[in-house]
Amino acid sequence: MAGSNSVETQSVVHDREGWVTKPLVLFCLTSTLITMAAGFIQVSFGSFSMTFLEVAQAVTEPTILFNLDTWSGFLFGTELPEMERGELIVWSIRLPRVFVAIIAGATLAISGAIFQAVTRNELASPFILGVSAGAGFAVLATLVVFSGLTGFLPLIAALGGTVAFLVVYVIAWKNGTSPVRLVLAGVIVNMIFQSLQQGLFFFADDLGVVQTAISWLTGSLTGTGWPEVRIAILPAILAIVIALAGSRQLNLLLLGERTARSLGMRIELVRFALSAVAILAASVAISIAGIVSFFGLVVPHIVRNTIGGDYRQLMIGCLFAGPALMVTADVGARLALGTQMPVGVVTGLLGGPYFLYLMRKQRSMGEL
Amino acid sequence: MNRGQANDEKTTDSEPTDETAATDRGDSQSMTGDLSADGYEHTREQAVDEDGDIVDSALVGDELELSYPTTEETIVDCERLDIPEGEVTALVGPNGSGKSTLLKALSNHLEPEEGVVKLRGDELQSFGQKELARELGVLSQENDPVGSITVEDLVYYGRYPHRGFFDGVSQADQEAVDRAIDLAGVNHLRNTELGQLSGGQKQLAWIAMVLAQDTDILLLDEPTTFLDLHHQFRVLETVRQLNEQKDVTVAIILHDISQAARFADYLIALHDGVLYDWGPPEEIVTEQLLADVFGVEASVQYDPELQILPKRALSERQR
Repeated sequence: MAGSNSVETQSVVHDREGWVTKPLVLFCLTSTLITMAAGFIQVSFGSFSMTFLEVAQAVTEPTILFNLDTWSGFLFGTELPEMERGELIVWSIRLPRVFVAIIAGATLAISGAIFQAVTRNELASPFILGVSAGAGFAVLATLVVFSGLTGFLPLIAALGGTVAFLVVYVIAWKNGTSPVRLVLAGVIVNMIFQSLQQGLFFFADDLGVVQTAISWLTGSLTGTGWPEVRIAILPAILAIVIALAGSRQLNLLLLGERTARSLGMRIELVRFALSAVAILAASVAISIAGIVSFFGLVVPHIVRNTIGGDYRQLMIGCLFAGPALMVTADVGARLALGTQMPVGVVTGLLGGPYFLYLMRKQRSMGEL
Repeated sequence: MNRGQANDEKTTDSEPTDETAATDRGDSQSMTGDLSADGYEHTREQAVDEDGDIVDSALVGDELELSYPTTEETIVDCERLDIPEGEVTALVGPNGSGKSTLLKALSNHLEPEEGVVKLRGDELQSFGQKELARELGVLSQENDPVGSITVEDLVYYGRYPHRGFFDGVSQADQEAVDRAIDLAGVNHLRNTELGQLSGGQKQLAWIAMVLAQDTDILLLDEPTTFLDLHHQFRVLETVRQLNEQKDVTVAIILHDISQAARFADYLIALHDGVLYDWGPPEEIVTEQLLADVFGVEASVQYDPELQILPKRALSERQR
């Protein structure tokens, strides 16, 4: 405390130390390792089997890693340079699927975490507020009725999710909103859209359409590749950056509406803006992976139980844990059962029981 | 009932305002424009105590009619309300008399149906949300349960109105937090999580958060209601200390009229949403007031100090 300078640096250090804790760093490191390990398995196995050594060589192949042409091929869709067969399978089929899983996992987890803070409700997820049902309905309607627009499916899904959320918000709005009203309105809008979805199935005239629709509605990474990465990467980064920047606001929202307001937060504005970010994040995931059930609900819980409820930590944790769990679940979906399952089936089968376990373990559930 | 402590004055400012309506409440006395010594313009009426000294009001409620959006009925109807600058004012009244509603209006949590609330002459609505939060700290009666953050973290949230969107913790923030924690006497709980605290300790932690906000005005809604006697005194002593040392204006809702009478500089007695009386406790606390407002028979002792001994509840007929 000698001079004002040292005090200044000390106080900044205090802020850093305040939330970059050892458990958080460990958690993120572990998650990264899991992501890498699961990704490695995903890349190694399949109908064209490769040894781990071959995969390691292909993945670290300098002529690919440090070649601008290949990356422009991946990210902008230009023509790819010549590659060996193994390298081609790794780099243009299996690896991008891992990347899609990483993006979908991170965005879904963050979206769920935001919705849980905004509604102050542990049971909130991107999907309880109508986003999923709206997106699902939009996808089905496109496949069944407006089949000419199939190319814009991701965009339409995002649009449907947004519209549904806005409907929820409008219904819940009465001189401001409350978490309970939001969740109730979400449940009801969900039910209506689901009925519409089920109705639409009867208008589908060929089995292929029904199968595509089902894989969208359960959430699947089958067949995803660089085009999906291309669609998703920019909005995902945008959503993640804003979400991280807003984590302090989320912390404040958790103190309760009245407290946040008396501390000078423009609560309706912040709540709406952060919800918009959460929708963007969820839409990114939906547009590349469909509706992966339970994911946005469970991942923030896992992180909260491991490193605590401070949103500055929680957001970072979600950013790492989401990809780890999504990539792992997708390994299970692709390789475990011999036939390819939608990843949403795996997350639902694992996430549901985990959530029940949480309910049994914790005394109170619901309010954060 | 109004014994003249709340006489309204109208300054003879050149600009006529529409607030003259309130001047007919007591013996008006024209003030000349030499009041701006303390820095702000007095374009509003003044509350005056019995000696004719002007009571500067930090907050003024004017022609307030308050109701909640969900209901039709008016909950508070109050011609004029003063929270005097640099004093501790206690709002008292039975359950449902509109104390909390009034406090919500004073803190901009509830927009008045009619009338305005002015903070040192400016309408509350004209303040930005953060700007207001730097002037006026509010503690609600019950806070939403927050389990997993430490007391220190909570107190740091009190600095929110002083920090920009991307600002880190500044030295001023740190000092304010240390001071607040010290003042509220929760230093030993600094790193304890809120979920592990008792009700009283929790309340002190929330108070520390409001103190860290570093405002000139504090509005506290029943901060002592659920506390044991020890913690009640701790809270009240903290508030008093703040008032004496830093000249903070306090408006506090107290459930217990005896406590309020002993503790506050001014009392505002509310009954059925109407201001029953206003003034220093020694002057307004009477057996009549206790009967009319609280519906209790009580004896009031003025010597050596104000003491209220409630005896029994009065039935509706007797009131």
